[in-house]
Amino acid sequence: MTHWTDLQPRSFLEASARDRAIGLVDEGSFTELAGPFDRVTSPHLALLGDAVAFDDGIVTGVGKIGRTPVFVISQEGRFIGGSVGEIGGAKMVTAIKLAIDFHDDLVAQFDDLDEEEKPLVVISFETGGVRLHEANAGLLAHAEVMDQLQKARGKVPVIALIGSKVGAFGGMGFVAAATDVIIMSEFGRLGLTGPEVIEQEMGKEEFDASDRALVYRTTGGRHKFIMGDANFLVENTVAAFRDQVSALAGLSIEAFEEMRRIGSSAKVKAQLRAVALAAEMQPGDATDVWTRAGNTDAHALIDLPLPEFLATVRRLAV
Amino acid sequence: MTQQDKRNNWRKRAEDTAARKEAAAPLYAKGKEVLAKDTVALLEAVIRPFDIINIEGNNQKQADFLAECLNKVDRAKIHDLHMVQSAVPLPAHLDLFENGIAKKLDFAFGGPQAGRVAKFIANGKIELGAIHTYLELFGRYFLDLTPRVSLVCAYKADRKGNLYTGFNTEDTPAIVEATKFREGIVIAQVNEIVDELPRVDIPGDWVDAVIQSPKPFFIEPLFTRDPALVTDSQILLAMMCLKGIYAEYGVTSMNHGIGFLTSAIELILPTYGLELGLKGKCCTHMILNPHPTMIPAIEEGWVDTIHCFGGELGMEDYVASRPDVFFVGPDGSLRSNRAFAQTAGHYAIDMFIGGTLQIDKYGNSSTATAGRVAGFGGAPNMGCDAKGRRHPTDAWLKCGQELPSLDRDIGNLPRGKRLVVQGVETFGEGRAPVFVDELDAWKLARDADLPIPPVMIYGDDLTHIVTEEGIAYLNRCKDMEARMAAIRAVAGFTDIGLAAKPEETRALREAGIVKTVSDLGINPARANRDLLAAKSMRDLVTWSGGLYNPPARFRNW
Repeated sequence: MTHWTDLQPRSFLEASARDRAIGLVDEGSFTELAGPFDRVTSPHLALLGDAVAFDDGIVTGVGKIGRTPVFVISQEGRFIGGSVGEIGGAKMVTAIKLAIDFHDDLVAQFDDLDEEEKPLVVISFETGGVRLHEANAGLLAHAEVMDQLQKARGKVPVIALIGSKVGAFGGMGFVAAATDVIIMSEFGRLGLTGPEVIEQEMGKEEFDASDRALVYRTTGGRHKFIMGDANFLVENTVAAFRDQVSALAGLSIEAFEEMRRIGSSAKVKAQLRAVALAAEMQPGDATDVWTRAGNTDAHALIDLPLPEFLATVRRLAV
Repeated sequence: MTQQDKRNNWRKRAEDTAARKEAAAPLYAKGKEVLAKDTVALLEAVIRPFDIINIEGNNQKQADFLAECLNKVDRAKIHDLHMVQSAVPLPAHLDLFENGIAKKLDFAFGGPQAGRVAKFIANGKIELGAIHTYLELFGRYFLDLTPRVSLVCAYKADRKGNLYTGFNTEDTPAIVEATKFREGIVIAQVNEIVDELPRVDIPGDWVDAVIQSPKPFFIEPLFTRDPALVTDSQILLAMMCLKGIYAEYGVTSMNHGIGFLTSAIELILPTYGLELGLKGKCCTHMILNPHPTMIPAIEEGWVDTIHCFGGELGMEDYVASRPDVFFVGPDGSLRSNRAFAQTAGHYAIDMFIGGTLQIDKYGNSSTATAGRVAGFGGAPNMGCDAKGRRHPTDAWLKCGQELPSLDRDIGNLPRGKRLVVQGVETFGEGRAPVFVDELDAWKLARDADLPIPPVMIYGDDLTHIVTEEGIAYLNRCKDMEARMAAIRAVAGFTDIGLAAKPEETRALREAGIVKTVSDLGINPARANRDLLAAKSMRDLVTWSGGLYNPPARFRNW
């Protein structure tokens, strides 16, 4: 296994789910729960005669960053595209539930807790959503995760990390949107309908999924940051994601609430204004919106090195 | 017939050309410009049945508009054409045979149409002349396959017919020279007609007509390899190549093939190569397209010169900004030239290294598979020992000195040998074994009725095989029996490899004919992506200082 110190500078994009989970929390602090040695595998795949993974493609566990207990969920794109089925979903649900229960226990026992002693949940997404082999069980798993996010709200902050190869699409795109904070790298992608499906439904003229530059300009980290769908845009290293989580640990739950993109009537109104803007502008390309956000040379933003991008970019205000 | 009559007949080609150009005369718009809408009429005016025709196109740029227009001619007027061209990768190239416009084909590279080529040969739609290497085919343009009409492509033209082919000059000079200097007709499709060209690559009096095509010509970024897709296993092979071959022989000049192994080698030059002390000693002179994966090594000062067969999409600005390394013209842009690069690749370099789909038990290798006539492109020009070579270098001499059989043919004279290296994983694409008892090329030859199986590299030219099992130094084998044993020793769990005898392999290792990963002193645990100087396309852009502009399909930001 790779040493923790060697994991830090490693490309987040390329890191496996387990390497991400281990590297995001303090050195030696990660304990995996329902790990591969427990061999909790998908009954549906077995029924279909397909290969199973001993962790069902999702790593769950707990560690700490400084004084903050961190419950980690990390999805593995190399197993059936990071798709979420019954077992993987149950692991996600349980990890969030454990964090909530732990929070409630702590609060009940200690009345002088610092904010940074309270737990948080980190989900490292790499998924296209529901595992189609598992149909309704997979959909149900998504609903249950959503349910837990609602239960965690106002108590346990949930942070989404998106910077892995598959991105976060499909039902898990909804789940990511429902978290409190989204941290992305420029290689991360976030959306509901994946590029290939858009092309299939709407035609190549509408969206050419083989044009990767277009795909990233529309779903990638830079665009999501400008649009306000992502709160933070960081470098593509395990350390950079970890540092951003670390900077957030200890913030008040009100501060996390403030960072949400949806979930209050004010936020809904802002979203509606964005929809109205889209209807009015009829943008032909993401860069049209970037220009509208006040970026005079929107096209130059595509290739600008990240530090310069972050220093100069104007984000859309609606 | 008098002597005088005979003399008059010496100008038959010129007279025929004049008659054809006369027929085309009403179609000219201004100067040598013909409008795109008149292209089909122009082709009908200047082409006759049974003509030898060239459509420019190789594995990179394509005269695609002219190819499509040739398909629209009246087949009652034009038929049975004999196509001689580097490559047939566009559907339009094969449609000519389907439509009965063309009949015979001489070419070098099939590309994506390889399956249709095989089918058409089998059902008689194509009468196959031969499959060539690029250089061999260019040679025949000046011998017995001179085009009567050539349809070429360029970035820009002026109305006098001067062409700017620039970064992607590629095959154009060879085609135009052969055609024009034997009274042929040259028609160029260009992206743009301008008043002033950046430089003249082809003089206007060698060009008969220029057409601004409705769309820029198609160009394939064939040599772009995304570092994100390089695997640990390819990195292990790359480490073995650097230590067991580059360092062992001190190879300074070479060509790198198109696969991921050579990309991996390029990407570990600044890391593992540096550690081996190879900087300044290896890879100083290369015959190579502008591979994006070479950027880190170039930036670190490894390379003195690179001459290119063709351009590579997105590398224009980077190459133009590194004129000490690349062959850049007075206007500041690269001029690639396939004929000269292939000549250097054939005679001048010390090593060719690349991959293949199959190697047989004797060491012959082929990329042909049943049902696909893929052709060779330029690989065999470089993947062979140039028998006409006379200048010595250390690597060439050492490789030759290791041949135990040299004295059999030339007595006591010293002679060198080109290093020809095939680097493969023992199981390739689709888990198919790379080492086979009989090449699929045999089956292809039987099915498509080819006179000989299409072989990319013959066993007597192959000097080294590198697999995850080790390196077989075939040049150190005294006879065929030893070669076959050395091949078995590195063939892993393929049927060929399973036939290896442990005691035989041990003897080969002791003799230094086979070296395993541990014999080479390489720690396989180090073979991972951390060794790559660039791990993504984005890293390559950063290395280039923003000068490399990857095509859209390679961008993930």
